[in-house]
Order: sequence, then structure tokens, then C-alpha cells
Amino acid sequence: MLSTVLEQVVNGIVTGSVYAIVAVGMTMIFGVLRAINFAHGEYYMLGTFGAWFAIDYLGLSYEASIVVGVLATIVVAYVVGQLVMRRMVGAPAESGVLATLGIALILQNTVIFVFGGGYKFFSGGYIEPISIFGFSLAQQRILILVVCLVVFVGLELMVTYSRLGMAMRAVSQNVECCEVVGIDVPQVVLRTFILGAALAALSGVLTAPVNVSVYGGMGELITFKTLPIIIMGGLGNVRGTFFAAMILGIAESLVATYVGLQFRDTVGFATLILVLMWRPHGLFSTQARF
Amino acid sequence: MTHQFNRRMLCISTAILAITGSVPFTATAQAADTIKLGIVAPMSGPNARYGGFSLRGAELAVKDINDAGGVNGTKIQLFNADSQGTPVEGVSATRRLIDQEGVDFIIGDVSSSVTLAMQPVAEDAEVLLLNAASSNPKITYQAGVGGFKWTYRNYPTDENRALVVAKYAAEQRGFTKFAVLSVDSDYGRSAITFTKKYLPEFKGQILSEDYYKEGEVDFRSVLAKIRDNGAQAIIYYGLADTTPILARQMVELGIAGKVTLIGNGEFNTEKTIKSAPTALEGAVEAAAWLPQFDSPASKAFVEKFTTTYKEAPNNHAYVHWDTVNLLAAAIKQAGSADKSKVRDALSKIKYKSPVGDVTFDDHNQARLPMILLQIEKGVPSIKGAYSADIQYPAK
Repeated sequence: MLSTVLEQVVNGIVTGSVYAIVAVGMTMIFGVLRAINFAHGEYYMLGTFGAWFAIDYLGLSYEASIVVGVLATIVVAYVVGQLVMRRMVGAPAESGVLATLGIALILQNTVIFVFGGGYKFFSGGYIEPISIFGFSLAQQRILILVVCLVVFVGLELMVTYSRLGMAMRAVSQNVECCEVVGIDVPQVVLRTFILGAALAALSGVLTAPVNVSVYGGMGELITFKTLPIIIMGGLGNVRGTFFAAMILGIAESLVATYVGLQFRDTVGFATLILVLMWRPHGLFSTQARF
Repeated sequence: MTHQFNRRMLCISTAILAITGSVPFTATAQAADTIKLGIVAPMSGPNARYGGFSLRGAELAVKDINDAGGVNGTKIQLFNADSQGTPVEGVSATRRLIDQEGVDFIIGDVSSSVTLAMQPVAEDAEVLLLNAASSNPKITYQAGVGGFKWTYRNYPTDENRALVVAKYAAEQRGFTKFAVLSVDSDYGRSAITFTKKYLPEFKGQILSEDYYKEGEVDFRSVLAKIRDNGAQAIIYYGLADTTPILARQMVELGIAGKVTLIGNGEFNTEKTIKSAPTALEGAVEAAAWLPQFDSPASKAFVEKFTTTYKEAPNNHAYVHWDTVNLLAAAIKQAGSADKSKVRDALSKIKYKSPVGDVTFDDHNQARLPMILLQIEKGVPSIKGAYSADIQYPAK
């Protein structure tokens, strides 16, 4: 009994790690732009497709495909960032919703148009199971967990100490003051956006071996999973996002085990409603920032 | 004054334009010497794979018929519309085919949920709806003497399938403890409803019951539960695209080879078996058709499809190919492409299909066998074809 619970908690942490890496990019973009990036899951999809393409068409190894997937996504994100995202600084909230939803549709359908709508089979990765604490887990899942920790420690350090990190925090606090002291706001937005998209792509490539299937519409599900997480974590709050993702991952895992798999997707939104009722500024922010 | 005049002129000219525009259009529609056939199938979304195969199967049949001079000298013209596998899109796709393309015959959809939504639309428009791939029993419970006069189904139902699988699992494999893991749709749920109806006859018991949403990728929690509750087999009525994911996670949890998959979800394709051979070894599936089916007509279809599309056909390709041929046979027998005459011909037809002779019962349901197979040493082996007359619930 106890070992089952422990196993489900570990499962939840692994799922949470995937959510966390995607969500943290979305929350940082919100921080600097005040806009929810509804196309975020699409970068997750692009990364996975890039890696699948590298393995199936170019014959590269899984390690190399990670690099290809993330780089391809960075290129797309750069173009989208230059053309769309940096224009959204100071724009009304509706334009952000419209623009990102539009981008989501364009990216999704372009991929379907080029590669077809069917599921692709992702063949790379470390799927051999190993046994820890008496239950078995694919090596790939441990890799996901480790990468997630590295990413979050790295982001904490970057946000706290680096110039870009400080600029990001400044922009998320007050755009006008940033302009007064000479911070290039559109540039900060662009870089944050590319960083966020690259993280989503990384998450996609890391998850692909255990999720096996790759298809054009896969990003949509991820976008809707990450929405409750970034709201729970407090919009723009990196550390909060990490804990919110873990809470959701574990809660989903326990619900799937003890209530039923069909109720899994309700967990995120049920939690979201509760959070919005009692702590609308998120679980981990002491007060509303925006 | 001039302003008003202009507006009136505009209205009048638009009206004239509309009338002149529509006249030649309807004229061509009537004069066009083709049989218009619409295909509603999921061309995008999580079931796009099924839709792709369905359309190719239908296209192949249409091409063959037209190359041979058409039906009674009339060529078939194919229109396809994307249902995305959702009832809402399926209904609008059906309306588009009826209202804009003016089709008299529709084959569709793959998903039971979509077909159920299309039935009243076809009934209202009095367009012949031939279903080729949905297995929910309700579709023909409510057709023929049950209600919808324009719905026919050339596909065996889940009722037959559930019985065949449960019987084989219990009698041949000796399973008594089962776990349910099916897709959360009219197909997945109804297959389980009928499994529950028959399982007690074989002293089977269900230890856990879960349904997954289309697009689900994480089955670890459920599989861990199944590992711990001691089920011998997972009753899985799922989607082909999910089977490899599930099979791989069975390997990951160490239950591959210990718990057997039974049900339906394209266990028999090479691609699926290759994804996790140990998990699929011994898996039992009931399918309407599979490429290994041993009959000359079926083998000829497989060969033709493979040379045309450089890919082996699946079940959906076959049933759509077969249903187009069935329709052509009915038109031939009716001696006209008039939809009411074709419908009457269908009710009386005795059609030679590659899996056997097909006739329709008073619920417009084709009497068709379910083919039972088991994966042995990485290849599907056919264990038999079983048909059963459906016991319709008394109204």
C-alpha cells in the first residue's frame, strides 16, 4: 500500500517535471509581456517533431536529435518573436490572446500540412526500465527529472544574477521605468520568448521516447495542462511554477490510480477553480503583482 | 433619393445575380452524369490515421469501378469531408456534402460518436448513410425497424466482438480476472457494457475499470494498479494510435508477458508489434478484417492496395473499399442510382464480400463475422471467424 503511494508520487514528480519545464517558459513570457502565450504547447510539439525528423529522416542519434529539435524551435521562435511577440509590448491584452492563438493554429496546421495528420512513431531514447525502490521506471524518466532540476537551478541563478535575468525582472515590474533607465524592452521580450520556447522544445524532446507518438495536435493538450500550473504558481513566478507543477503531477497521478483515469484531466481545472477562489494571485506569491 | 435608389438597385441586381447564378448550377448538378458519393472520415486529429486509410480504401474501389466503365455505365464521383473524429465537425461535414456537393450516398464515419450524430442528419435529408467502420450497437438498434430508414451498416458490432473476445479469453486462455482500460467514447464504453453482459457466463470478474481520454499518453498509474490487483488480462477497446504507448509502458512497468491485452486496437500491425513485442505476445484481438485473412478476394485487395500506396492496408481501408463495392452492387441490382431504389436493393441484397456472403437484417445491420486472432511469436495468427445474430432489445 505505502509502496504504491510512493510509486505514484514518483510518477507524479516525473510528470510534474515535464509540466514544469514547459510551464516555466510560459510564466516567464507572461512576466515580461503580461500575455498568456497560447501557442506555448506548439513549441513543445515543434521540438518533438524536429527530433523525430532528425532520427527518421536524417538518421541521427537521439542525443543529436535533442540538439536539432531545440535548435529548430529556436529558429522558429526567433522569427515569431521578431514578427509578433516584440510588437506586443504595451499592447492590450486581447491582442496577445488573438496573436498567440493565431500562431498556435498556423504552427499546428503547417506541421500537419507538411508531415500529415497521422501519429508518428518516435523511436529514440532510453526506454529500458531500471528498478529503483522496488519498482521499475524507464531510464528516460530519470533523465527528465534530472534535467528539470538542472533547468530550475539554472533559471534561479540566471534570474537572480545575470544581466538578462535582472532585466527580465525589471521589465516584469515596470515597463515605463525600464525604458527610462535604458533597458531595451523589446529585446528582453524577444530573448525571454526564445528561452521559453527552447525550454518547451527541450521538454518535448525529452518526453517523446516515453510518449512514443508524435502528432501535430499534441501541443494543445500541453498548453491546457500548463495554464492551471502557471496560475497556481503565480503568474511570472519561476519557483512557484516548479512547486505547482509538482503538486499537479502528483495529484493527477493519485487521482488516476485511486479514482480513475478518466478523471485525470479534471484535476488541473478543479485545482485552478479552487486557487482562483481562494488565492487568485497564486499559491506561492504573497500578494498580487499585476 | 439617389442613395435609396442605389440601394434598391443593389438589392435587385443581387437578386437577379443570385437567380441567374443558381439556375445553371442546379442544371449542371442534375445533368452531371455521375453518382455522387461522399466520404466522412477523420482526416485530422487523433484519428487521422483511420481517416487516411478509409479514404484510400474508398478511392481504390472507386478507381477500379470507374476504370471498368462505372456502375451501369455511370461513373462514381468521390467527395471527402473531414469529421476530425468529433460529432460537431462530423455533422457539419455531412451537411456540407449534402447541401453543397449534392451527394445522394454517404459512407461514414469511423468513430461511433460521430456516426450517431450523423444519423439524424442523413435521415432528414433522405440521403443513404452507409456506415463502414463504427461498432457501437446503438447505431443499428435505432436503424431500420428501429427508426432511421436511411442508415445501413456494413460492419460487425461491439456486441458480437465483446462476446467473441470474452468467450475466447475464458475458454481458451482460462482467464477469470480482468482489468478494463478502454477509450472514453461511445465505442470504448459500449464494448465494455457488452463485455459486462457476457462476462458472468464465463465466470469472469472485473477488478478495475478505467477509461482514457483520446490523446492520453501516461498510463503508468493505471498499469501499476493493474499490476498490483492481480488481473490476468486487460480488456482494452482502444485506439490504434494509443496501443504502442500502452504496450511500451507495460514493458516499463514489468508487466509485459504477465498481463495479456485482449480486445481491439490494431494489435496485429507490424508497427504496433514492433513497438513492444513482449507486451503484445499472446494478445487477443477481434477485428472485422485483417490483411492475413485467407480468401482470394481479400488477398487480391491487399496486394493491390500495397502496390498502389506502398503500404499494407488496415481494417479501415478494407471496410471502406468493401463498402464502396457493396454500394456499387446495390446500384447495379437496383438498375438505377436513384437513392430510394438503391436503399430497397440493399435490404434485399446478397452480396459476395471477401469475408463471406453479406445480407442485412431488419435493423439494416449486415450479418458479418468477427475475426479472432492472437499474436504468436510476433505475428498474428487467425483463430477463427465468428458470427452471431444480434438479439435486439424489445421496444
